[in-house]
Amino acid sequence: MPAERRLRTPLVVGVVILLITLLAVIQVRSQAEVQRSLLSQDNTSLAFLIDDLHRSNDDLAKQEKALASRRDMLSGAGSAAVANAALSAEAQNLRIVQGLDPVRGPGVVVTVDAPLNDVDLQDAVNNLHVAGAEAISLAGRRIVTGTVIEASGGEVLINGVGVRGPWTLVAIGDPSRLATAGDEMTRTLRADARVRSASYRADPDLTISSVIRQRPFVYALAP
Amino acid sequence: MLAAWPRLRLYPLVALLALAFGFFFAAQLRAELIPPSNRVARNEALALTVRSLETDNAAYRSRTAALQSQIGRLETDAALRSGASRQLADQVAELRAHSGLTRLHGPGETVTLGNGQSPKGGAAVSAYLVNFQDVQDVVNLLFRGGAEGIAVNGRRITPESRIVGAGTAVVIDDGPPLVPPFSVAAVGNRAAIETLLAAPASLGDLKQRQRDYQVQLGWFGAGDLVLPAADTGLEPQYAHAG
Repeated sequence: MPAERRLRTPLVVGVVILLITLLAVIQVRSQAEVQRSLLSQDNTSLAFLIDDLHRSNDDLAKQEKALASRRDMLSGAGSAAVANAALSAEAQNLRIVQGLDPVRGPGVVVTVDAPLNDVDLQDAVNNLHVAGAEAISLAGRRIVTGTVIEASGGEVLINGVGVRGPWTLVAIGDPSRLATAGDEMTRTLRADARVRSASYRADPDLTISSVIRQRPFVYALAP
Repeated sequence: MLAAWPRLRLYPLVALLALAFGFFFAAQLRAELIPPSNRVARNEALALTVRSLETDNAAYRSRTAALQSQIGRLETDAALRSGASRQLADQVAELRAHSGLTRLHGPGETVTLGNGQSPKGGAAVSAYLVNFQDVQDVVNLLFRGGAEGIAVNGRRITPESRIVGAGTAVVIDDGPPLVPPFSVAAVGNRAAIETLLAAPASLGDLKQRQRDYQVQLGWFGAGDLVLPAADTGLEPQYAHAG
């Protein structure tokens, strides 16, 4: 057992322990990092998400208040007249949401002179909904989520009716968010080579008189 | 025996030193791999805020859904008070059903969407991932096929629904982020929807990516699909009857 071997043994043990420790630490910390990265996005995305969630929570708080008030009205309704008033108010709200009645309120008018296709128009409508639009019309036709905007033979059809540009979108809803959306939309559109002109104007009192005819359910059943 | 003592004392010393060096090297290596700690801390703080807001959001939605349900029952009771009340209550019930505020069931189709395979060689393309526009395209197509009600991963689409992307997640009506795979269920005419889905011109981009990147796209029918009610109120704040 020469002295050289006596020295080599602890050295090998040391190197092995060093490697194991190194691997263990990297493994543990990497797992923690993966866990974090699964939950996290970059700071900008998180900031946008926080902004959206704040707004959503504010909206939900308002809706909760309105619904609680409707529930209280219905539960305290001693007479048919009070119950009918609550029912009428809800019916009117839902008719607005479904685009069954003409509406008025603040909003924006976006005008675009360009050969836009069905996908461009679907995106524009979705953008306005995201910006808080409660009622929308496109080319004089009332639009809700579910309105069919499609291309057919080089033409754009809205619920089966042919429409053409220049395109006018009217959106009623949160005036400040809609104005921001109108500005962003028109700026993006102006960068598109197809677009001859794109502009918007905010208006405190817009009217959308076009309506949708409700289709009765054929296949669906409500319990 | 006595000669072995110094050797035995040396082992723990070497092991201790190796352990210390191991931690030192690992910490050094990690310091170069991970972002600065203040950035991580800021990111964690933001993620914590998101989680807290999401918890609040879920609580609001749960209370809203409970209120909607209570209102539905009270409206049914109100219908018993007079003929006019009954007529109004029936009208409201129908409007609520068309607005997605009540559960709905019937025959229909479910479209499934999932991420494909990342291209080999680490090419920086995202075409193998399904995104909010794909979901939007499927929803639009199902409405085109005459769908009378739609839900995406259990979230009901209403006349005011908006679909946005948040990273790789899809957010519907500011609800919780939904991640792939997506399941888009539609109640309606199965035959019409299936024909439309199978048409070569439908969902052209998705079908191309299905071929190129194995993006998952499929559909199947059911005799009785159940769609949940929306967990949001539909109370216009700016638009008034006019």
